[in-house]
Amino acid sequence: MNILKLIRSSSVLGAVGALTVLLFGGWSGAVIGWLLGTGMGYMSSQTKLIANPKTGAQIGGTAGLGLGIWLLVASLLEGLLLLPLSGRPAIPFGTALLFGLAGLGLAVLSAVLMAAFQGLANPAQKQATRLTLAFVLLIFPFADQIAQTGWIATVIQIQIFAILALGLNIPVGYAGLLDLGYAAFFAIGAYTTGMLSSAHLGIEWNFWIVIWIAAAVAAIAGIILGAPTLPLRGDYLAIVTLGFGEIIPIVFRNLTEIKITEPISSLLATLLNRPELAICLVGCTEPFNLTNGETGINPIGRPSLPIVGTFGTSPFPWYYLVLLLVVFSMFMIGRLRDSRLGRAWAAIREDELAASAMGINRVSTKLLAFAMGATFSGFAGAFYAAYITAIFPSVFDFSVSVIILCMVILGGLGNMTGVLLGCIIIMAADRLYLPKLAEVLKGILNTSVLPNISSPALRDFITTSLDPIQMRLFLFGLVLVIMMIVRPEGLVPSAQRRAELHEPDPAANDSLADVRSAG
Amino acid sequence: MKQWQRIVLYVMVGYFILLLGPVAGLDLPRIVKDISQSPSLLITQLLVGLINGAIIAVIALGYTLVYGIIELINFAHGDLYMLGGFAALTVMGAFGVQDGAPFITSILPMLAALLVAAGFCAGLNVLTERYAYRPLRNAPRLAPLISAIGMSFIFQNLGLFWGGLRSFIPIMGNTAAAPKSFPDLLPRNDILEAIGIESKVDFTVKDLVVLVVAVVLMVALNLFVQRTPAGKAMRAVAQNRDAAKIVGINVDQIIVLTFLIGGALAGSAGLLVGLYNNTIVFTMGFTAGLRAFTAAVLGGIGNITGAMLGGVLIGLLSALSDQYLSSRWTDAWVFGVLVLILVFRPSGLLGENLQEKV
Amino acid sequence: MSLLEARQLTMRFGGLVAVNAVDLTLEPGMIASLIGPNGAGKTTFFNMLSGLYVPSSGQLFFEDREITGTEPHQLTRYGIVRTFQNIRLFGNMTVLENVLVGRHCRMQTGLLGTLLRPPKVMAEEAAARRAAFSLLDYVGLGTERAQESAKNLPYGDQRRLEIARALASNPKVLLLDEPTAGMNPNETADLTRFIYRIRDELDLTVMLIEHDMKVVMDISDRVSVMEYGIKIAQGTPDEVRANPRVIEAYLGKDEDSPAVESPAPEPLNGRVESLKDTSTEG
Repeated sequence: MNILKLIRSSSVLGAVGALTVLLFGGWSGAVIGWLLGTGMGYMSSQTKLIANPKTGAQIGGTAGLGLGIWLLVASLLEGLLLLPLSGRPAIPFGTALLFGLAGLGLAVLSAVLMAAFQGLANPAQKQATRLTLAFVLLIFPFADQIAQTGWIATVIQIQIFAILALGLNIPVGYAGLLDLGYAAFFAIGAYTTGMLSSAHLGIEWNFWIVIWIAAAVAAIAGIILGAPTLPLRGDYLAIVTLGFGEIIPIVFRNLTEIKITEPISSLLATLLNRPELAICLVGCTEPFNLTNGETGINPIGRPSLPIVGTFGTSPFPWYYLVLLLVVFSMFMIGRLRDSRLGRAWAAIREDELAASAMGINRVSTKLLAFAMGATFSGFAGAFYAAYITAIFPSVFDFSVSVIILCMVILGGLGNMTGVLLGCIIIMAADRLYLPKLAEVLKGILNTSVLPNISSPALRDFITTSLDPIQMRLFLFGLVLVIMMIVRPEGLVPSAQRRAELHEPDPAANDSLADVRSAG
Repeated sequence: MKQWQRIVLYVMVGYFILLLGPVAGLDLPRIVKDISQSPSLLITQLLVGLINGAIIAVIALGYTLVYGIIELINFAHGDLYMLGGFAALTVMGAFGVQDGAPFITSILPMLAALLVAAGFCAGLNVLTERYAYRPLRNAPRLAPLISAIGMSFIFQNLGLFWGGLRSFIPIMGNTAAAPKSFPDLLPRNDILEAIGIESKVDFTVKDLVVLVVAVVLMVALNLFVQRTPAGKAMRAVAQNRDAAKIVGINVDQIIVLTFLIGGALAGSAGLLVGLYNNTIVFTMGFTAGLRAFTAAVLGGIGNITGAMLGGVLIGLLSALSDQYLSSRWTDAWVFGVLVLILVFRPSGLLGENLQEKV
Repeated sequence: MSLLEARQLTMRFGGLVAVNAVDLTLEPGMIASLIGPNGAGKTTFFNMLSGLYVPSSGQLFFEDREITGTEPHQLTRYGIVRTFQNIRLFGNMTVLENVLVGRHCRMQTGLLGTLLRPPKVMAEEAAARRAAFSLLDYVGLGTERAQESAKNLPYGDQRRLEIARALASNPKVLLLDEPTAGMNPNETADLTRFIYRIRDELDLTVMLIEHDMKVVMDISDRVSVMEYGIKIAQGTPDEVRANPRVIEAYLGKDEDSPAVESPAPEPLNGRVESLKDTSTEG
């Protein structure tokens, strides 16, 4: 067996694994080997035909071995070279080898297992694959704790954004309505939760009720904000949603002194000079503070369950709760997609005019797309508010909307697996790898590079400017541009969208409203 | 929609604005009182709005030109203007001009800054078109729009990076993300006083210079588009790209020219805003871009006169909102206007209705 | 009783009057044709009948109920459905999905049903699929290509699919905008037979815009002729063929009619020729 060939064949995931090990070190190789190995085993069935479990195990074993070698090499590099370079003590060779071998072993094992399942006959194969995935997801927090990788907080964040991305995929991916203000619904869900389960307004309802209210409020907001955009063509629609996305955080930021008086009565009161005529509706005795401005609402009530008790600082209950939400969202969105409504969305996306002529009510169909998308962001917002126990308006600005959009586009518009993948890639890069990379890079610079640079200006430049976290936006932007040019359909496109994005589409600009208002 | 439904809708929207407006500062009795107490303040604010509006109009022209030609909302345009401000500031730093330098000695740095900022932004815009938009020219509309959003992020990060170059450009100050102070070079002598008009309103040389430069840019653009062969070709491409190609116009060249002009205008606006507000920050492109886009839409996107009119109106709206409504709510008002226009009159004030064929 | 009736139907675009005070009625079970030179306003007229344009003035009645200005999807529900001159399938959806979209307005499932999927919903979905498959068979597309993207079908099959999609909504009136455009004589003959068949078997009333005079003269119970937005003649094929105004409209000196419609793909000469042919035969 040619080792070089083996290494090259698993280069993408291998590189990811190696990078992980280089950055995080320790047992992280074992965890990432387990995760990526499972993924690799599954993917091997996509590229090669696996006739029976035995060939599957062989194929998976080779793939896992390739990945394992990456991990092993990276472990040694990290332990013996990178650590001293970045100013931390090196670890003994034996320990580094142990870390590496653990990664290799787990990678091979999980790849063999998963690939072997792919060789089963169809219903059993699906079952086994699902069970393995469920096992990985259920066991992950424990693995994370044992290996002391400390990824779980980020994984919870990833899952929150997974719900958001899945939700945004409804209007953008299914119905073709580019929504640039999606964070607004996230904010509405979060603020609804904040207001209904905190001491701020004196309403402290149970989280399990509030999360449904938050979703409903977000859905209604989706309809209200969606309604004015209905007659608009693609890019105008994007701008109006963007406008709403900007207005909502401003509103939450500034709704601190509300006093509402009925305008006609107050006009009369002014004209007749009789102030008592004005009908006051809200905040009459003192201005009403709804959102507490920039400071936000804090603390927000946490969910509690009979056996688990109130969710606290332990990430475990949060992890399983958000996992449940993600699975629930996927299940529901899948049903929406494969239904009369889902077909109507696709038809509207393809050719709004023809869809309308075929009996599809474009108003209700589009509004439902906005409302359904908003509903899931309402769930995500409610969970987020309870999880962080505090919300501020600055969390929901335009860049959040664009990051969610990035996930959808990177993964593949209209495809749930793709969207999840995009979400994992972007969130992991943004929340996990970039900060750690910055840390490691800083260590390297401080110990190994800066002392060797004589020019003070250059040294100053390097310390201030070479910060990967500062380059976040740049990287996002680059991903968007490159994806649009190279692979506009995303990493895992749905078959339909792939076809659409690779051909000029004159019907995309049509709007029934233009036609109807012409007369 | 039937006539009466439309009227009912307008009345309802109006009522809700009156009902909820006071929360966002729209308190009519107070505004009337404020204005009647100090009319000169109103005039001052109108002046501020006019000048800011003129700068917005210069940016809005870039949006409208590009949209007119390739129907792309060039999201990155606002951030390009921000980079123009940084380029201008860098030139100022190179010349070593300080606050309050004599007007005569600072003319040269200002001219140099104008040229560099305009040239830099023009070049950058052309490169952007070449590598980020042109490959997507035949793709569905969503693709270039998303690409433009990506470019906007890249530019913004570039601005942040540029602002952090204190080791090479001392004028950038200590912190990368902090607002940069732009040298205050234009004299603040009151012109009205100089020509013998007594008033509480100040109209300074600074106001005049910024206004004149903005107006000259707009007039020059208008002349270019209306009078020159290249301008005629631009209008032809805007009307019908295929037909323009058939009669022998090099469409690619015209598109490049459009981005060149739009970029130069954005760069000039970057300098102007630096000179006028004396502060620039890497995030200013986003809001300014949205305001300028609103202006372009308000005037009727694709329409040059419309962009100018829209810019001035948006400038006035922001200035008046800052003074009389609530500066915290100004952005919400501007975007609110954007939404209302797009919903009720998508073709803008001077735009034409588009007609689709079935 | 008339099924569909247009009274003084008018459409203005700015200063241009594309359709000028046209009266027209469709009786149940008839096959009616609308002919006229390019730019005569035929498609604009269709667009008004199917709700895509709101008439500038005039009224529309369907089964004695006024439908002027009704949204197109509502008209489809009432039973008026159309095809398009330049085929407008949902190209990236499968053949089956296209037909199922046509079935949309005859299905009840709402949001709650979609999410909860009670047996009733599953039954409705299954029934819709069965209906779609049998429709695909009926129009001669067969069921084995049901999972293909609609845009990958050959041109003639796309026309058939568009008709299948329209039929899926159980219409009473079927409006066909140049159904034979781009077809060869064999395909055209097939389609002509097919139109008869659906009229008889599905109890349809059919109105078509058509340039192929042979089809028009063969198939129509009544022919209406438009020129410059005005209905200049109406009657049986024989009457229309003999009408001097119609002959003048087709052979007339200049063709600078207002460009309201996009020009039809086939050459004008062929049309004039076929008109002459049939008129000498009769």
